[in-house]
Amino acid sequence: MRHRSLLILTSVLATGALTLTACGSRSDDSKKGGSDSSGGSKTTVVIGVDAPLTGANSATGLGIQYGVQIAVDDANAKNLVPGVTFKIKPLDDKAQPATGQTNATALVQEKDVIATVGPLNSGVAQSMQQVFESAKMVEISPSNTNPALTQGKDWATGTKTRPFTTYFRTATTDANQGNFAADYAVNTLKKKSAFVVDDKQTYGAGLAGIFQGKFKELGGQVAGTDHVNTGDTDFSALVTKIKNSHADMVYYGGQYDESELVTKQLKAAGVHIPLMGGDGMYSDTYIKTAGQAAEGDLATSVGVPVETLPAAKTFIDTYKSKGYPGDYGTYGGYSYDAATAIIKAVKTVMDANGGKLPSDARAKLVDAVQKTDFDGIAGHVAFDQYGDTTNKQLTVYQVKGGKWTAVKTGVYNG
Amino acid sequence: MTDLPIAAAEEAAAATAGHSTRRTAPFIPLPVTAARATTLAGAVITTASTFMSWTYTTDFPGDLTVSGYPGGLQVMTLIGALLTGVVALGTFGLKGLRWLNPARTNNGVLLLALATLGTTWYTVIDIAAKLGGFANLDPGGIVAFIGALVLFAGALALPLDRHPEEAADTEYYELGWFEQVTPVVRGYAWLREARLHHSELRVPDTRKLNPWLQRLVIVVVYALGLKILTFGLATDYSDIFIGYLIVVAIGVWGLSASGLIKQFQQLTQHNKRFAGTIGVITAIAYPFAQNNELWANLGVYVLIVATVALGLNIVVGLTGLLDLGYVAFLGVGAYTAALVSGSPFSIWSGTQFPFWAAALAGMIAACVFGVLIGAPTLRLRGDYLAIVTLGFGEIFRIVVRNLDGVSGPKVTNGPNGIAQIPDLSIFGYNLGDTHSVGSFTLGRFANYYLLMLVITVIVVLVFTRAADSRIGRSWIAIREDETAATAMGINGFRVKLVAFALGASLAGLAGTVFAHVTNSVVPDPYQFSGPVPPNSAFLLAAVVLGGMGTVSGPILGAALLYVIPQKLGFLSKYELFAFGIALILIMRFRPEGIIPNRRRQLEFHEDDAPAPGNRPMGDDTVPATTAGA
Amino acid sequence: MHTLPQQLANGLFLGSMYGLIAIGYTMVYGIVQLINFAHGEIYMTGAFGALAIYTNLPSSLSIWAALPLMLIGGALVSVVIAVGAERLAYRPLRNAPRLAPLITAIGLSLALQQAVFNWYPDAKSGKRFPQLPGGPFHIGSVDVQSGDLFLLGAAVICMLALGIFVRSSRTGRAMQATAQDPDTAKLMGVDTNRIIIIAFAIGGFFAAVAGLASGLKYGQIQYNMGFQAGLKAFTAAVLGGIGNIYGAMLGGLVLGIAEACATAYIANVPGMEQFGGGAWAQVWAFVLLIVVLLVRPQGLLGERVADRA
Repeated sequence: MRHRSLLILTSVLATGALTLTACGSRSDDSKKGGSDSSGGSKTTVVIGVDAPLTGANSATGLGIQYGVQIAVDDANAKNLVPGVTFKIKPLDDKAQPATGQTNATALVQEKDVIATVGPLNSGVAQSMQQVFESAKMVEISPSNTNPALTQGKDWATGTKTRPFTTYFRTATTDANQGNFAADYAVNTLKKKSAFVVDDKQTYGAGLAGIFQGKFKELGGQVAGTDHVNTGDTDFSALVTKIKNSHADMVYYGGQYDESELVTKQLKAAGVHIPLMGGDGMYSDTYIKTAGQAAEGDLATSVGVPVETLPAAKTFIDTYKSKGYPGDYGTYGGYSYDAATAIIKAVKTVMDANGGKLPSDARAKLVDAVQKTDFDGIAGHVAFDQYGDTTNKQLTVYQVKGGKWTAVKTGVYNG
Repeated sequence: MTDLPIAAAEEAAAATAGHSTRRTAPFIPLPVTAARATTLAGAVITTASTFMSWTYTTDFPGDLTVSGYPGGLQVMTLIGALLTGVVALGTFGLKGLRWLNPARTNNGVLLLALATLGTTWYTVIDIAAKLGGFANLDPGGIVAFIGALVLFAGALALPLDRHPEEAADTEYYELGWFEQVTPVVRGYAWLREARLHHSELRVPDTRKLNPWLQRLVIVVVYALGLKILTFGLATDYSDIFIGYLIVVAIGVWGLSASGLIKQFQQLTQHNKRFAGTIGVITAIAYPFAQNNELWANLGVYVLIVATVALGLNIVVGLTGLLDLGYVAFLGVGAYTAALVSGSPFSIWSGTQFPFWAAALAGMIAACVFGVLIGAPTLRLRGDYLAIVTLGFGEIFRIVVRNLDGVSGPKVTNGPNGIAQIPDLSIFGYNLGDTHSVGSFTLGRFANYYLLMLVITVIVVLVFTRAADSRIGRSWIAIREDETAATAMGINGFRVKLVAFALGASLAGLAGTVFAHVTNSVVPDPYQFSGPVPPNSAFLLAAVVLGGMGTVSGPILGAALLYVIPQKLGFLSKYELFAFGIALILIMRFRPEGIIPNRRRQLEFHEDDAPAPGNRPMGDDTVPATTAGA
Repeated sequence: MHTLPQQLANGLFLGSMYGLIAIGYTMVYGIVQLINFAHGEIYMTGAFGALAIYTNLPSSLSIWAALPLMLIGGALVSVVIAVGAERLAYRPLRNAPRLAPLITAIGLSLALQQAVFNWYPDAKSGKRFPQLPGGPFHIGSVDVQSGDLFLLGAAVICMLALGIFVRSSRTGRAMQATAQDPDTAKLMGVDTNRIIIIAFAIGGFFAAVAGLASGLKYGQIQYNMGFQAGLKAFTAAVLGGIGNIYGAMLGGLVLGIAEACATAYIANVPGMEQFGGGAWAQVWAFVLLIVVLLVRPQGLLGERVADRA
C-alpha cells in the first residue's frame, strides 16, 4: 500500500518535471521564432544598458537609458547597418556594485547582447569590468570619471597601464575637468584664493583633488579644504569657516544635491563669492533649487555647448518630444555617442565579414570600438590607448539670469 | 499508519464534538457528494483548458496560442489543477492517494484550489490588461477562467476545518470605538469564525515507516525542491514568475494544511543527520543542475546574505539584542580581505594571504570591532545597543570613505575603494577560471558558490553547536528574562558579549568571500537601508521574515527577499516601500516568521489557547530547556 | 578662535532642531519604552505637509500670512501619521516582545520615506522651500538668519509650553504617572491609552514644527532628510537621558554644538589635522555618545531608575 502510493508519487513527480522541462524549452524557441518573423530577414542585435533606473540616482540613470534608446532608434530609422535591427536591454543596477555585477553576468549570458553602455557610478564599474573582460565584451561608460578605471592605479604618478581592454568611456576623466576649471579660475576669473570642498565620493573627491593641485600650481592659494557627507543639510559650520578664510571663490567637487545648499547658505551668510563645480552640478535642478543664490556660480562640462551643434539639438528635441523621463542634460549626449560607437563598430565588423555578423562578434567588436572615429553629438568620439575619450573639449558655464550660459569653450592640453 | 476513510474520521470527530474544539463547516451549503463532484469537475475542466489556446496573439509572454500542449503560465494552472485534483481524490478516499492528506481535512483542497484560481485568474486578467480587454481571450481562456471558479466553489462547499465558534458575549477591544456598532461586531465575529483552523490536527506518525523509505522520501522531496527552485529562477519574464509565486506560496500553504509538510518535518527531524547531508548535497547540485552563470551569481549572493543573516540571528534571534548596524561587520571583513588580497589598490599591495589566512583575518578584525562596540554598550540595559549599533553602521561608511590619505590616514583608498581584487586560488584551483568537471562546466560564480557553500555549512554548524551548548542556553535565558537569568548566576554581560562578537566574526567571514566575488570593495553598499542587500534593514528583515532563532528561517528569508525582487523587475520602483509595508504586516500578523521557533511562537500568541500534547514535530528550534543554572 | 561665538551659534541652532525632534522620541520612550524609529520620517512628512500647503496657496499671499497655515498643515500630517502609527501598528504589539514594535517602526520608517519619494510630486531630489525674508542680523560678531530666529523661538516656546503642560495640567500629571508605572496609573483611573496617544501627538506636533523650521532655515527639504535627523535626535535623547524632556533639549544642544565645533576646530588640534572637518563631524558625535554612555549611562539629566524587567 505504502509502496504503491510512493510509486504514484514518484511517477507524478517525474511526469511533472518532464512537463516543466518540455514547456520551458518550448517557450524559448517560440520566442526566438517570433522575433525572427517580425523582423523579416533582419538580425537583431541588442545593446545592453546598465544604470541606476530607480532610486536616488534614477534621473541621471534614465537619461543614459533613453540616450541609448534614441541612438538605437536613429540607427534603425536610418538603416545605418543594413540587415540589422538594434534593440536595447536596460538593466537597473540601483547604484550598487553587486547588482551591477549580476547585470553584467546577465548581459554576458544573453547571446544577442553584443556590447553594453554603462554604468553611471565608478564604484559599480569596478565590479563589472572583470565580468566583461572575461567575456571579451565591450563596455562603454558615458559617465565614469575615476581615472584609475582606464589608466590603472598609478595614473597620478604618470605610469599609466590599462587594466581592462574591453572598457571604454566617452566621459572625460576628472583630471581634464579639474585642470580646466583651475586654469579658468586663475587666468580668467583672476581668483587668488580658493576654498575647496568635496563630498568624499569618487567623482567629487577626485575632481576637487585635481582642481586643488592645479590651482596651487598656477599660483593660486588654497585658503582651506573641507569635506562633507552626502545627505548633509546643515553647512553653517563650513560656511563660517569659508567666511573666515577670506577665500574669493569656493570649488565644490560633488553633485548638485549638496552644492545647492552650500551656495544658498554661503550667500545667506553674506559671503558673495562664486561657487564653482564640475558637470555633476551642471543641471537645471541646481538653479531651480538654489534660486537667486546660484547667480554667478560656475560649472565645467565636457564638450561644446549643445546650442552650437545641430545634432545635439535634434537629440534634445527628440528626447523632449518623446516625453522620456529622466535627465538628458548630464550624460544623455555621451550615452548617445557611446551607443553610436557600438553601432558603427558593428557595421565595421559586419563589413569585414561579408555583411554578416561573425560568430565571435563580441571579441571583434573590441578592436572595432578601439578604432572608433566620428563626430558625435557631444564632440569628437575616439578612444586613446587606455580606452579614454580623446575629446578634450570643455566648456565653462556660468549662471546668468537664472540660466547656465557658456562663458568659455576650449580644449585642455596638459 | 492508519488509513482511515475521511468519512469515518469525520464521524469520529463528530462523536467527540462535545470535548473537542474541531469544527467543520462549508462556506457554501451543498451536500458533500455534490461538493466533491463540483470540485473534481472543476479540476478536470481547468486541466483540460490548459491544452487549449487562451489568446489569439503571441504578444503575450509565453505564447499561449498553441492548442495541444500547455506552455508559459498555462503550466502553472495545469500543475495547480492537477495537484488539487489528486489531493482532492485522496481526501475523498480514493485508495492509494489517501496519503496525500494525512490530516484528513478538506482545508488543503481549498487552499490548493485557491492557488489554481489565483494563478489562472491572474493569467486571464493579465492577458486582458496587457492586450486591452477580455476580447483577446480565446475560448480556452474563458474555459480556464470558469473551470478554476468551479473548482474553487466546489472546494468552498466541502466541510472545512474552522475556528471554534465565538462565544456570544465575547468582547472585541481591538475594534475600539466600533465595538458599539452591532453590524460591525457581527461581521467581525463572522470573520473570526470563518478562519481556517488546521494547525492542531493530528497526523499519523511517519517515523514508523521503513527507514529506507523515509530516506527515499527525503531525497525525492529535496530533489523536487531543487527542481522547483531552478524552474522559478529560469522564468524569463515577470508575468510567469508571479504565476509561479502564487502557485508555490499558496500551494505550500495548502500542503501544510493537509499535513504533508508536518509529516515531512517529522521525517527530517527523525533523520536529522541524513536530511542535513542530503540538503547539502542538493545545494552542491545546484550549480550542476544548470549551466548558467547568472543563476550561479544569484546563488552566490543569496548564500552570502543568508550566511550573514544567520550570523545576525545569533545576536537578534537567540540573544534578543537588536543590532541595527550589522552590515558594518560584513564590511570590516570585506575590507580586511581586500587589504590582504594582493590588489594593487591595497596599501599592502605586495601582501597576498592565502584564503584561509584572509578569512581568519577578516573574522578577527570583525570580532575586534564587535568587542569594541559591544563592551561599552552591552553593560547597559535597554535599547542603547540599538542606537549605538545604528550609529556604528553609519560611522563605518563615513570612516572608510575618509581614510584615503586626504581627510585621514591612507588605509582604505577612500571613496574609490579597493578595486581589482584578484580571484582566489585554493590548492591551485583558481576560482576565477572556468573548470570542467566531467560533462559539467563550472564558471567563476559557480566556483565561488561552492566555496561560499562551505562557509555557509560552517556557519550553520557553529550556529547549531553554539546554540545547543551551555552558552546557547544562557543566550536564550537572557533573551527570555535577563533579570531571572542573572539571578540564576549567568554573567549577562559576558554572555551577551560572546554572542555579539561571534555574530560579528561570522559576518566578517562572509565578508571575506564577498570582497572577492564582487572584485572590489567600496564604502557605499554598507548602509542601513538601501535598494539592494546587503544592508542592515534587509538582514534584519530576512531574520524576522524567516523566523528568529531558527537555522532555516533566516536562510529562507534571505533567499526570498533576494530573489523575488530580482525577478519582479517592474516592482523595483516600489520595492523599498513594499519592503517597509511587509515588515509592518509580518510583525502584525505573523511575528514568529515563516518557520517559527516554537518557543517564540508561544510568546507571540499568548492569548491563543495552547494545544497540550500536540507539539508539532518539525521544529528546528534550538532546544531550550532550563537555562544553564 | 574669533569665530567661536559664530560656531557656537551655529551649533545652538542646529541643536535646537535636534532637540525639538528628540522630544518626540523621549516622550514616547518614557511612556511605552518604544524607540519610535519612524519619528525621523514624521519630521520629514511634517515638512512636506507644510510645503504642500504653501504650494497650494495663492502666490500673492505673503510668507508671514502663509506661515500659520503651513504650520497647521504640517502638524496635521505629522500628528495624524504619528497617532495612526500608534493606533494601527504599535498598539496591537504592546504586549509582544520588544523587538516586534521596533521592527514595525523600521518598516514604517522605510514605507513613509518611500511613499514621499514615489508619490509626492517631483520629490526625487531636493524640493525648494520658501524662506523668511530679512537678515542676516548682526549680533556682536555673530550673524543670524531669520530662519534661525524662527527655529530658536519655536524651540523655546515649545519647551516652555510642554514644561507647563506636563507639570501643571491634569493630563500632564497623568502622563508622568503613566511613565513611572503604567499599571498603577491605570488602577488610579488614568486612561493610559489616551495618554499614549497624547504623547505620540505631542511628539508629532514638535516634529512638524522642526520640519517647518528646517525648511525655512535651509530653503530646501528632501525625502531622505528624516533618517539622519532621526538618528541625531535619538542620539540627543540618549545623551540627555532618555525619558527626560529637558534632557532631550539639552542633549540636542550639546550634540549640535559638538558637531559645529568638531567641524571647525578638531583640525587645529596638533596631531588631529586629518580628523577634522565636516567629514568627521558625525564620527565625533558618535564618539561623544559612547563616552557619555560609558561615564554616565543614564544620560546627562537622566535619573538612575530601577531596571524594569
